[in-house]
Amino acid sequence: MLTLVSRRLRNSLVLLMLATLLCFTLVVSAPGNIAVLIAELRTPKATFADIHKIELELGLDQPIVTRYSHWLTGALQGNLGISYKTGEDIGPALSSRLPITATLVAGGATFAMLFSFVLGFAGALWPGRFADVATRTIALLGASMPSFFVGALLIYGLAVQLRLLPTFGSEGLSSWILPWITIGLLPAAVLSRVVRVGLEEAMSRPFALTAVAKGLTRRTILVRHALPNIAPTYINALGAQTGAMVVGAVVVEPLFALKGVADLFLSGVLFRDFMVVQACLLVFISFFVVLNLLVDIGMMFTDPKLRRQGS
Amino acid sequence: MASKEILRVSDLCVDLFTQRSVIRPVDGVSYSVAAGETLAIVGESGSGKTVLNFAPLGLMPTGVNVDLSGSILFNDTELVGIAEPALRKLRGGSIGTIFQDPMSALNPARTIGRQIAEVSELHMGLSSSQAESRALDLLKLVRMSDPDARLKQYPHELSGGLRQRVMIAIAVAAEPQLLIADEPTTALDVTVQAQIIALLKDLQKRLNMAIVLITHDMGVVAGIASRVAVMYAGRVAEYGPVGDVLVEPRHPYTMGLIDAIPRADDAPGSLFRGLPGAPPILGAPIPGCAFAPRCHAAIESCHITRPALVSTVQPLVSAACPIINKHNHGGAYVQH
Amino acid sequence: MKFLREFLSYTSSLPRLAIWAVGTFLFLGIFAPWLTPHDPNAQNLLQAHLGPSFAHWLGTDHVGRDTLSRLILSARTSVVGMTLVLVLALSVGVTIGTVAGYRRGWVEEGLMRIVDVGLAMPSLIVALAVIGIFGTGYWNMILALALAWWPGSARISRAVAVNVMNRPHIESLRVLGASPARIYFHHLLPATLGAVLVYATADAGAVALAIATLSFLGLGIQPPTPEWGQMLVDALPYLESSPRQVILPGLALTLAVIGFNLLGESIALNRVPTPLSRKILRQRRITAAAWKKA
Repeated sequence: MLTLVSRRLRNSLVLLMLATLLCFTLVVSAPGNIAVLIAELRTPKATFADIHKIELELGLDQPIVTRYSHWLTGALQGNLGISYKTGEDIGPALSSRLPITATLVAGGATFAMLFSFVLGFAGALWPGRFADVATRTIALLGASMPSFFVGALLIYGLAVQLRLLPTFGSEGLSSWILPWITIGLLPAAVLSRVVRVGLEEAMSRPFALTAVAKGLTRRTILVRHALPNIAPTYINALGAQTGAMVVGAVVVEPLFALKGVADLFLSGVLFRDFMVVQACLLVFISFFVVLNLLVDIGMMFTDPKLRRQGS
Repeated sequence: MASKEILRVSDLCVDLFTQRSVIRPVDGVSYSVAAGETLAIVGESGSGKTVLNFAPLGLMPTGVNVDLSGSILFNDTELVGIAEPALRKLRGGSIGTIFQDPMSALNPARTIGRQIAEVSELHMGLSSSQAESRALDLLKLVRMSDPDARLKQYPHELSGGLRQRVMIAIAVAAEPQLLIADEPTTALDVTVQAQIIALLKDLQKRLNMAIVLITHDMGVVAGIASRVAVMYAGRVAEYGPVGDVLVEPRHPYTMGLIDAIPRADDAPGSLFRGLPGAPPILGAPIPGCAFAPRCHAAIESCHITRPALVSTVQPLVSAACPIINKHNHGGAYVQH
Repeated sequence: MKFLREFLSYTSSLPRLAIWAVGTFLFLGIFAPWLTPHDPNAQNLLQAHLGPSFAHWLGTDHVGRDTLSRLILSARTSVVGMTLVLVLALSVGVTIGTVAGYRRGWVEEGLMRIVDVGLAMPSLIVALAVIGIFGTGYWNMILALALAWWPGSARISRAVAVNVMNRPHIESLRVLGASPARIYFHHLLPATLGAVLVYATADAGAVALAIATLSFLGLGIQPPTPEWGQMLVDALPYLESSPRQVILPGLALTLAVIGFNLLGESIALNRVPTPLSRKILRQRRITAAAWKKA
């Protein structure tokens, strides 16, 4: 068990190194000289000497590996450089924005989890009936509607027409409801299909027939016998969908005027502010790696075959 | 037969409807089982012996719909047309079931203990801890080694024979009056087969339960059953006490089956004796005798009218064949 | 002819809504320039924010452009973009996947590590990062999306390729002296391509969504080329006064994606048995009832 966890941990570290290296080379391979960009930012009429000074300042004359390790050690100490666009220190900006994105993603993931179980379970409990058709339709719509369209519809319906909920701001629970639904609907739809198809597949396996022969009801068989079997698959899908919520956040944060990390990332992308893009990517990558690790451990706990391997 | 009859099946027909087709795998089958006895139902795969037993209990996979006609009396309860909740009480309670493949019949994600305990929780109203200790007793009953540790193990940690013991423990957990065992030894090693049969015999004596054993293995039939029904293409070909049917088969199909068993006095290198031809593909009911196309003794009327299952000269044995009876024994048929 | 008939019988087994949605989407995409009633880019500020009329069936937007024409031409933008992304991503992915599946050993190990990194990150984040570094623009968007999408097809092609290579007939081909190139091009590649194309159909909807999302964020299709996501974001400031301009492009995109998702679903769900519908059960009972009379 422990050896298995430590092996996953090592894999995660390798993944983290590779991903950050990729992220770093991506920025390094950017067309145009970063020093020129910065110099122009500081003084409109930068001289060649100015540019050279900045190059030295940034350590651009050193080999890439040295620059990578400098950047990484700096990042570990919270030193993520300054924005070329605003001159702002990125580290503090990120840490003040992190709670907003975290709240958005955590709330969205919770909504997705609850809603996916309601949808997937209702369909499996009454296959072929109205509940089945209705939940499938909702799942299909949710999986096919772009999140910006969902957000626009929700704003129009609930905030503009019915005036039930505020459309922006991050204070109080009510202002979070629309963003959470907007970001969580697509993952909920995808996950409900995982639940639905998984349960149906489990119910068609011989052990489900054994459970019927025991005299259990369909509901009990679904909960006690089918559910434990889809748990590893579901955890895997939940991890992937939660990771993909970062994409959702890039759409949802500007839509609801939330000043989170994804919003910063988007403005970095829009203005080609490399240091901001790089810093945000580092945050995202760490999030994905941690998420992957959690998923691996979660799968280990729910799959008896994996659990016994290490012990 | 002195003991009370607990199961009487009369003229049972089963129609199966699937996405693609309709078939009648069971066509007018009758038999009965007395308390504490073992009836073996023998036939090739596709002869309808499994459907015959599982369709009335609602044990069919998703996508298969069942229509029943005829009558199945279990302890004076009619099972044809019974409501699902009442049937659910019988399943696992008074009727236990063992499946062919213990590898897939157990839930891979739950412990052995829970899978056994939930039956007595449901049917005997035990609390979770009482059921747990009963599960331990049951594991001892099916003679599992190290039962305490087994409770917390998962199916993939056990061998096939041990898993089949777990299946048996599940099936007898609520002390059923009737145990339906579908080829319980087919998926197991030969040495383990004998142990499982011995275990079933032992449990039968202790719990005084009737067993319906579905098999294609004549050795198993001889080892455990008191009576046997030989099935061919959804119909009973011959039915009677094991001693009579196996020693002196009357129906040409039974004869062929028994003749096909390799014997100790066969010359080394001699060819296997099998039945020529293949069983019919099930679909619409066959008008005449289903075995007629493969039968060496068939006459014209065999292809046109279906022979009834009638008593032979030996009154305890009945066979669905007019020819052999006439030729071997010359007696008139006695209506069953 | 035979091929056409086979194709038609295959499509008839798929959900009808999916065929209609995908068919309409592709039809509009191919014939858009000949179908638009107005010039999709002709502005007329005097006719801004009009409701549906005989001249403008679906009204006009905030600068007086005909909405229907823009919706139709957006389908073309989407189909072309989607095709380019999928062709690029599949060529890279299938090549890498099949090479890894054919060579095995350290080649496979190395290639798949890169694929793993790609798969660990959501596709759109990769695409956004690439656009953030190399700037916006049509081809940058296409390349960024292709770069984000290839690892998925690479993983699937590798899995299929490994499966194909383990089949006994490949072993016998080797023994018979077939060259590696022959095995690769005549046996491995065609078998892998088939399986991966099915996967691509199911994934096409996600690519269409990604293009729309990038355009919504102002990072994909640039004006004046009409695109659904961009039409929606253009109309968003006027959500209260003319919600129709927001809802129409959203609906068009949703319908196209529903088509692709239904296709994917029908492929995935085929292996799980489903309960019989009442109609089929009734038909089957009639058949059985006829037996009893006989």
